[in-house]
Amino acid sequence: MEKTLLNIGFRNAVLNLALKTIKLRYKNSFLGIFWSMLNPLLFLIILTVVFKEINHIENFSLYALSGLIFWNFISASILQVLTSFIDNASILKSVNLHPFSFPLSAIFAAVINLLLTFIPFFIIMFFLHFQLNYTIIFVIPLIIVTSIFVLGFGMILGTLNVFFRDIQLLWNTIIPAFFYFTPIAYTPDLVPESTRHLLKLNPFYYFVESFHDIFYRFKQPDGFNFLICSLLAVSAFAMGYTLFTKYKKGFISNI
Amino acid sequence: MISDKNFAIRLTDVDVCFYVRETGAVSLKELLFSLGKRPFLDKKFVLRNINLEIKHGESIALLGKNGSGKSTLLRVLSGIIEPEKGKIEVNGVVAPLLSLGVGLEYEMTGLENIKLLCALMGMSQAEIKNYTQEIIEFSELGEAINWQVKRYSTGMMTRLAFSIAIIKQPDILLIDEVLSVGDVGFQKKCLKKVEEIKAKGATIVFVSHNFNEVKSMCSKGVLVNNGTIDFIGDIDEVGERYSKLF
Repeated sequence: MEKTLLNIGFRNAVLNLALKTIKLRYKNSFLGIFWSMLNPLLFLIILTVVFKEINHIENFSLYALSGLIFWNFISASILQVLTSFIDNASILKSVNLHPFSFPLSAIFAAVINLLLTFIPFFIIMFFLHFQLNYTIIFVIPLIIVTSIFVLGFGMILGTLNVFFRDIQLLWNTIIPAFFYFTPIAYTPDLVPESTRHLLKLNPFYYFVESFHDIFYRFKQPDGFNFLICSLLAVSAFAMGYTLFTKYKKGFISNI
Repeated sequence: MISDKNFAIRLTDVDVCFYVRETGAVSLKELLFSLGKRPFLDKKFVLRNINLEIKHGESIALLGKNGSGKSTLLRVLSGIIEPEKGKIEVNGVVAPLLSLGVGLEYEMTGLENIKLLCALMGMSQAEIKNYTQEIIEFSELGEAINWQVKRYSTGMMTRLAFSIAIIKQPDILLIDEVLSVGDVGFQKKCLKKVEEIKAKGATIVFVSHNFNEVKSMCSKGVLVNNGTIDFIGDIDEVGERYSKLF
């Protein structure tokens, strides 16, 4: 058995690993996959109650919900890619499988999870006056580009995390800061014009704003933003994969 | 998959390293403060200058003290660890049975584990469907196949792992002292199965500290000591040299 990528056996292995990840996440929990919806819904209530007064925009609830769904997808999937090597330690040590299959299956699991929760969210979004038009089609390339970014970024952190478990803890600490640094609980024009450009230093800004374009502004994602997303995705993946390739030889003795 | 080359496994001048952080303390802070001065990972040789050729159909025992590098050698043979240097040639499908509960997911049931592990070993969905019933029968786990593996005893885990690993006739079978955990009945069954696989022409590499078990299965042995191969030869002589190590 060669450790080759992209053969049928490899694809089947990745798919089964992804299904395992989804199954395991909700195993032994009563509400199962509903937790993926309850979390953003609870946050939606919090944001609506706390931030509605300062956000004088039309239909703030839809703005907050669409931001939250994708923020949750991004932050959760980065964490899953990040921990994928450690989570699969016993397989990594005993089965001849290319280690790239672990982050790849983690992002697959996250996307499947997102798609599963789409259906109930759509129903809720229609109650919040979501208008369905052709621009919804842009969600597909956007999810693909976001996934590549997450995969690359997660692999950078994940490779380091094998050697320094601090990364995992650091990421968990930093993620709430990123949440408030990204326009989800507020709109960018609420930030004073003198400091507004700082928001654009945050890579997540471009992804979340593109999702806002589709699900809140009902238009196709801003071309410039989408270009930035694509560039971020390609460079994060190139960096992540290079780092991973360089240090994967140290995985077995450090996990 | 077997090519017409007359060896199953050939290692030429193989070195294997572990990459460890010398400080031991797992902390980002230390790396940041020592950046540039200290290498990110330190090399530690665990196997040095390994030359070994195993012919098709041969059964070979690896003997050596704990920590001498036997298990690492098996991991190298199965392709899980890449060597630092040297050449590894393997002809045929390798089935590694490396440690207790190899890759079993404790939160999932025995049945779910069968499907997952078969997929990870490279089987297609159709093959998995075909073999599942056979695996359940061979493992003799009965209704326990639907329990979560965390409720299994070590013996039951071994049954499951062994049954999955050997169900598809491998060309090369690597066994790392896992059989000693099952009860006498299952041990006998496993040894019989290994004999069967052997009779069909497979190559066996066997690690065990039970010399009688080793002797019944292998005629040739390899003595591994401190990460190098000390001696290759007749099993009795290897056994003798092995007992002199203590």
